[in-house]
Amino acid sequence: MSIMEYNGGSVVAMVGKDCVAIASDLRLGNQALGISSNFQKIFPVTDRIYLGLPGLATDVTTLRERFRFRVNMYTIKEEREIEPETFAHLVSSTLYEHRFGPYFVEPVMAGLSKTPSGGVKPFIAATDLIGCLNFAKDFVVAGTASSKLFGVAEGLWEPDLEPEDLFETISQTLLNAVDRDAFSGWGCIVHVITKDKVVTRTLKGRMD
Amino acid sequence: METSFAITGKGYVIVAADTTAARSIVKMKVDEDKIKTLSPHLLMAYSGEPGDTIQFAEYVERNIRLYQIRNLYPLRPSAAASWIRRSLAESLRSRKPYSVNLLVGGYDTATHEPHLYWVDYLGTMTEVPFGAHGYGSYFALSLLDRYHNPEASLEEGLVTLKRCIDEVSKRLVVSPGNYKIKVVDKDGVREVTL
Amino acid sequence: MNSFAERFSTTSATSQLRKAQALAAEEDDISDAMWGSEAGFGSLAKGVPTFSIPAVADPTAFLRLHTDDHADPNCRIKIQHGTTTLAFRFQGGVIVAVDSRATAGSYVASGTVKKVIEINPYLLGTMAGGAADCQYWETYLGIHCRLHELRNRERISVSAASKYLSNLVYGYKGMGLSMGTMICGWDKTGPAVFYVDSDGTRLKGDLFSVGSGSTFAYGVLDQGYRWDLTDEEAQELGRRSIYAAGHRDAFSGNSCNLYHVKEDGWKFIGNYDIAKMHYDGPGDVPGAPGGGYGYDIRVEGLTSANPPPVTAAA
Repeated sequence: MSIMEYNGGSVVAMVGKDCVAIASDLRLGNQALGISSNFQKIFPVTDRIYLGLPGLATDVTTLRERFRFRVNMYTIKEEREIEPETFAHLVSSTLYEHRFGPYFVEPVMAGLSKTPSGGVKPFIAATDLIGCLNFAKDFVVAGTASSKLFGVAEGLWEPDLEPEDLFETISQTLLNAVDRDAFSGWGCIVHVITKDKVVTRTLKGRMD
Repeated sequence: METSFAITGKGYVIVAADTTAARSIVKMKVDEDKIKTLSPHLLMAYSGEPGDTIQFAEYVERNIRLYQIRNLYPLRPSAAASWIRRSLAESLRSRKPYSVNLLVGGYDTATHEPHLYWVDYLGTMTEVPFGAHGYGSYFALSLLDRYHNPEASLEEGLVTLKRCIDEVSKRLVVSPGNYKIKVVDKDGVREVTL
Repeated sequence: MNSFAERFSTTSATSQLRKAQALAAEEDDISDAMWGSEAGFGSLAKGVPTFSIPAVADPTAFLRLHTDDHADPNCRIKIQHGTTTLAFRFQGGVIVAVDSRATAGSYVASGTVKKVIEINPYLLGTMAGGAADCQYWETYLGIHCRLHELRNRERISVSAASKYLSNLVYGYKGMGLSMGTMICGWDKTGPAVFYVDSDGTRLKGDLFSVGSGSTFAYGVLDQGYRWDLTDEEAQELGRRSIYAAGHRDAFSGNSCNLYHVKEDGWKFIGNYDIAKMHYDGPGDVPGAPGGGYGYDIRVEGLTSANPPPVTAAA
């Protein structure tokens, strides 16, 4: 049994037109045994950056606390909010610090970065468990259902989706992928980040 | 095999743990108390590797007490559980990690809510309405999905707990004989019998 | 000279062929007579079928390499590990309920597997362990139950049928067969349930559950079980127990197939989606309490908070 599959769980993030979406399941398991159907894996970093942490649950909690601390320190020192690109590198270097005894998580980030003209640019990224960054232009996936997520996302995603359509696309992608994965599911949560607001919805998924 | 249960109800948490201390194939003791009272409104059931359990439980007990002495008020259940989790998570990546599984139940006197946290030896923590550790959990969790009621009175809660204990005694090959049962509510901690 | 040597050599090609022919002839001699009345089925039942064994020193170890995905994840034969099946006897007959999920590793390979094998109109078998093993041997059992009927002009008892299966699989013990099954039916003695597995265990009983989700099913089943359950209550208990296992066990789920065996044979009661049972309940069926089975659905709006009653300001 792989340590990455011990607790189960999956995260997906997608780019839309001036918006991004990030979604995860809510299962916490002990291998085959389901323990909790309300285990959050996605955390807000700033008003417009969200971080998803699928993997070993103890490291999910530990890293969440660690990133909160590091982002707070950054904000105090710099006297400004962290940008998504900067945060991605912070995640990467934090993970690489533990190169020879890694945290067993594969982070997925979604956010909106500011452009010089005052607009916003969608940003998504993912890393492996020792911090190799992957900046994607379409979607990123991670977790026990990642192979299934790739398949569904490849079929459903298209460029320049409006927030409502992006919500529908990411929801259907996640819902259908986790139904084919024994270790993910037990409910889903979706965050759609736009310039002025973040819309968070919980989805009714299969509970088996 | 060690088994522990905990269930929340209307304004209380019931924590139950078996009382056998086994070594190899021998029962060394049949009335061991595996539930620590950490503060006036906080209970912790512990199970796992012999030696580690006692050492870690006492370490937690002393540190929670120290916090109360220093600050003149105790940690609330969620804060205490977070601290305990972090201790386990840090221990996990040390040379000799503690192998201890916990059920931390407490009554928050500020919000009048009972809280129950399921914590395993890796430092995984989640808040649950009911929880269990050991092989007993494979029988008790489905049973509690069916019978647990968050608004049950203490008497009803104890009836549900008895169902769990009876089921595990009936089906588990190496089922424990006796359980110690403690309750925490607005009046503090006390031991009860079925 | 060469042909002479070939004729008497024990290792030559022709002698191998000769040996094989002799063996085949021997088999012909024993089979039909041994199995008694042919009744037109003689050609079907040539004794217990034989299987070729891998030509290696230790066939069992070799086979394990190819059937056990713990030893080798890329193995060609996938054993179906996750399942929940249950059967119980009560005043009104036998209830048989199963889930319908098949997994290969963490991949949900199918959600529509039939895990109840309809051996004949009076006998049901459940499927846990190797899907092919269960399917093949229980169908094979069906053939022999029919032959028994033709020979003896009466239906085979559940006890005899299960004993037949048990003896069969015991003959293959240690060769990698994997099955845990309940043979359920109604015979002269009334409703009957037998647990048979590939170790050779055969148990008569009132209530069994088999598979990775069996413990979860037992948790609900034991608490709700009584001999004098009504038909509706019993069907509901079977359904609710499979739901419980489908919910908690990652390797069980998708849907529940429910059967009820009575004096006049088995009846398929229905197929119930586990997700639908979670949110809305099994639908308009007798015995169902109404509302979803799901814990969060059942306790929605209830709270364990216990604030002191607000006293009116003086």
